Amino acid sequence: MKRRIIVALGLVAVLAVALAAATSAATKKTAANSITVWLQTDAQSGWPDVVAAANQQFQSAHPGWTVNIQYQSWTDHLQKFDATLAGGGGPDVIEMGNTETTKYMASGAFAPLDKTQFDNYANWLPGLAASGRYGGKTYAVPYYAGSRVVTYRKDLFAKAGIKKLPATTAQYVADAQKLLAKNKQKGFSPVYIAGEDWYVAMGFVFDYGGGIATEVSGKWKGLLASPQSIAGLTAFKNFFLAASRASKTTIETNPNPYNVYAEGLAASMVGPSWFSCCVGKKYTASTAQFVMPGHIAGKTMPGFLGGSDLAVPITSSNKALATEWIKDFTDTASEKALQAKGNIPNATNLLGNSVNERAAARSWFVPTAKHWVDVENGNILRNMLGQILTGKLTVKQAAQSASDNVASVLNQP
Amino acid sequence: MRGTSTTAAAAETTLHRSRRQRRFWNRSGRLAVPYLLVVPVVVVIGLVLGYPLYWLARLSTQKYGLFELIQHHGTSVGFANYSSVLHDQIFWHTLLRTVIFTVANVALTMVLGLLIALLLVRVSTVVRLLLSSGLVLVWSMPVVVAVQIFYWMTNFQNGVVNYVLTELHIGNFDQHDWYATTFSQLSLVTVLIVWGAIPFVAITLFAGLAQVPHDLVEAAEVDGARPWAIFRDITLPVIRPILLILTSLSIIWDFGVFTQPYLLIGQAKITPGNYLMSIYLFEEGYFKTDFGRGAAISILMLLIVAVLSVVYVRRMVRIGTAQ
Amino acid sequence: MNRRRRNRRMRQLGWNVLGLAVFVVMVFPVYWMIATAFKTNDDIVSLTPSWIPLNPTLQHFRDAINKPFFWRDVVNSLIVVSVTVGISIVIAFMAAIALARYRFSLREVFVVLVIGIQMLPQAGLIIPLYVVLARYHQVNALSGLIITYMTFVLPFCVWTLRGFLIGIPKDLEEAAMVDGSTRLGVFMKILLPLMGPGLVATSVFAFITTWNEYIFARVLLNDQAKQTVTVWLSYFLGTSRNTDWGALMAASTLTAIPVVLFFIAVQRRIAFGLTAGAVRG
Repeated sequence: MKRRIIVALGLVAVLAVALAAATSAATKKTAANSITVWLQTDAQSGWPDVVAAANQQFQSAHPGWTVNIQYQSWTDHLQKFDATLAGGGGPDVIEMGNTETTKYMASGAFAPLDKTQFDNYANWLPGLAASGRYGGKTYAVPYYAGSRVVTYRKDLFAKAGIKKLPATTAQYVADAQKLLAKNKQKGFSPVYIAGEDWYVAMGFVFDYGGGIATEVSGKWKGLLASPQSIAGLTAFKNFFLAASRASKTTIETNPNPYNVYAEGLAASMVGPSWFSCCVGKKYTASTAQFVMPGHIAGKTMPGFLGGSDLAVPITSSNKALATEWIKDFTDTASEKALQAKGNIPNATNLLGNSVNERAAARSWFVPTAKHWVDVENGNILRNMLGQILTGKLTVKQAAQSASDNVASVLNQP
Repeated sequence: MRGTSTTAAAAETTLHRSRRQRRFWNRSGRLAVPYLLVVPVVVVIGLVLGYPLYWLARLSTQKYGLFELIQHHGTSVGFANYSSVLHDQIFWHTLLRTVIFTVANVALTMVLGLLIALLLVRVSTVVRLLLSSGLVLVWSMPVVVAVQIFYWMTNFQNGVVNYVLTELHIGNFDQHDWYATTFSQLSLVTVLIVWGAIPFVAITLFAGLAQVPHDLVEAAEVDGARPWAIFRDITLPVIRPILLILTSLSIIWDFGVFTQPYLLIGQAKITPGNYLMSIYLFEEGYFKTDFGRGAAISILMLLIVAVLSVVYVRRMVRIGTAQ
Repeated sequence: MNRRRRNRRMRQLGWNVLGLAVFVVMVFPVYWMIATAFKTNDDIVSLTPSWIPLNPTLQHFRDAINKPFFWRDVVNSLIVVSVTVGISIVIAFMAAIALARYRFSLREVFVVLVIGIQMLPQAGLIIPLYVVLARYHQVNALSGLIITYMTFVLPFCVWTLRGFLIGIPKDLEEAAMVDGSTRLGVFMKILLPLMGPGLVATSVFAFITTWNEYIFARVLLNDQAKQTVTVWLSYFLGTSRNTDWGALMAASTLTAIPVVLFFIAVQRRIAFGLTAGAVRG
């Protein structure tokens, strides 16, 4: 009896392996005429119809070819990409975050592209276009962007007697005091900003004319300790202490600002425009957005221009077709469709009048350095903010140390 | 007293049987049998890991970044990678931290696991099924989900842990940030890891306890032997091999644990101040795409773990060879 | 007599209460996961924790099942896991017998190999493993994943089964031989039943480890139709926007079910040794 069981198990195992091998062999045959595209899951859940339309366009122009879209996660798509760079089998098109591209461009991971092939190339958003250029050549095509806006409670603002939206940060601080007076719950923030939210903090730095780092004859020089940057950091510190009751050492994803907002513990929050999706049923009707003001009247606060680019890996065997697909996916019609879903399209001539797009008019971006990713991963800016806000170091000390740190990381060979 | 006479009788029979023992397992002309039995495992492991191990060793002596990865060609730098790691202060601090972390984790896991296994033996069938199924449920939770649940439970704003601790008047834990200090962070990671590791230890030990001679235990109990004496003289010798195995495995795993601390602390809060060895490897090697350095750290980790677990492993091997 | 029986029953009750207390403490996070799967989105992020879902909803389960490729990926996971565990247990048992019952010259070398493999940090192996598998067209194939998993599961299985084997005294087999049983008979009637608990515990471990493995499945499998259920789970988390926690918890609950079912089916074997009075001196 037992012997029969063992034999049966063995048979099952053999069959299963055979089945598995067979399925893989079968797909190899159909993979003959197809290009592989790696997009992030944002596209799968956000705008699948735009993807389908581009595929349709591509397939009708190239009969016999199919597009194989494989959705990736931000957390491990680079690890997977590295493996394919070493062993082959990688995609023909890959979506890269605009802060991820420089290191790969510098290492020769992408094929150079002719930018004139793409729609609206002359008007590409400067922040995105810069992330696709290296050594004078174009390696990545801007796909879409998102900026930072203020999402706020119209009802709370009205109750606090705020009749006009603030036009400068000073006015915003004054409005924050009014909001505090009318909302005495524990942990209530007139403006919820996480202490170590470097995206918002750097906006202040750039608003005052400062910067993070700049390249001078091939070497990177830290700018965080310049007088303008220090003015910006001090302005951020004062704004935070006056208007936000968030923890001084938490980051902008733990907790998510919109969760705090949904609990009624924030009158406004600074973040990407899609925050409005998740403010909870109670407050959806009374929520609206406006552009974060800078410290000078008439000038908005520079917002971090996050976004994605599309590139063709050097290991692709269908580079021409890959480029065609990118063209189809980033043409004017597709960009307008992405815009309709709340994204910022990739060219200035397509910009509309939504809050998100008006905020993009004045934006900042990270230094396009090969090792910028290491600065981010090393949490240098976050730690600096934590030290400043908790008072562990003075603004000058923290900024100087961070600036030196950034420069040494960026200047690695 | 009956207990000792039974053991004496068993010992006598062993002596008589020993000569025939050899004949059962080592019949003439069957010397090839052990090799044949071992071949499938060796083949599978060799096929899959042979090249990667060679690659890792070779890579550790090369400068190999993203550029070299794409070119499929690195430049040889001898032991520069090793020397850079061994001269790195962060490496040594991380090593010390990881050793302490491992000791704490392994001790807690083994003690609690053993206690729960002993409990499983004593409860009634229904409770045993409930408890063991519960343990398996815990064991089968994907790590990502477990981390997220733990995070919610320890969230400083709306976590149940703060809520319950404050309600029970153990102290004022309202808005207490459990992730503020390194010690607190790593303690939480320890709780998460021990919680996730207990089911495996408990269930495996429970299986081992099933091999303990049931009637010997009953006889000793009838004779009035104390529970601790029964455990020490009857139970422990039987489960000793398994205890040693589980301890050595726990050391190996807890030293190299990556997912739980990486996800629970979060990329944004990971600093050289709270690195564990596997995170150090990941950050300094793979995140920075310095594969040569990553390979060197991997090999160093391998050597360190080997040293740490050699005591248990050697004892384990000796038990097997004694027979 | 009565008092002793009462004492025994009190003690049994005491153990049972303790067992239930341990159960509650250990299972609480799992309970939280399942409860969250039934809560509405607003309840999930609420500042005051709600112990029981106030307005239970099945929407998250619906969202999870309707997410593309759920059933396909579950089948893939089942194939990968059952083949891996099936083959691994058999060949690991063979190797464990060699280690525990025989003396041969390369024994120490083999032991070192088995232990050494487990000490390798897996992060370092991802890229070279991918390169090797790609060369033999085993990337994006379930067979490639199976053989990878076997490599990681085998050392542990060999090591643990050896431990269980050592716990079984050799004179049992001798006694049976003296009584005239064949070698295969001894193997089937004496060794295998006694190894029952050990085999089951080891296969449960192999099952769970393989079922929950993520990073190698992620890197080695490309087509969503081929991926395992852990990769499918990651699609709930991968976006840079809001995560659908309710759906993720529902999905996780669903993926835990096969493991628990497998365990319940085999767990009797573990306790068998206990009640049958295993070794007779």
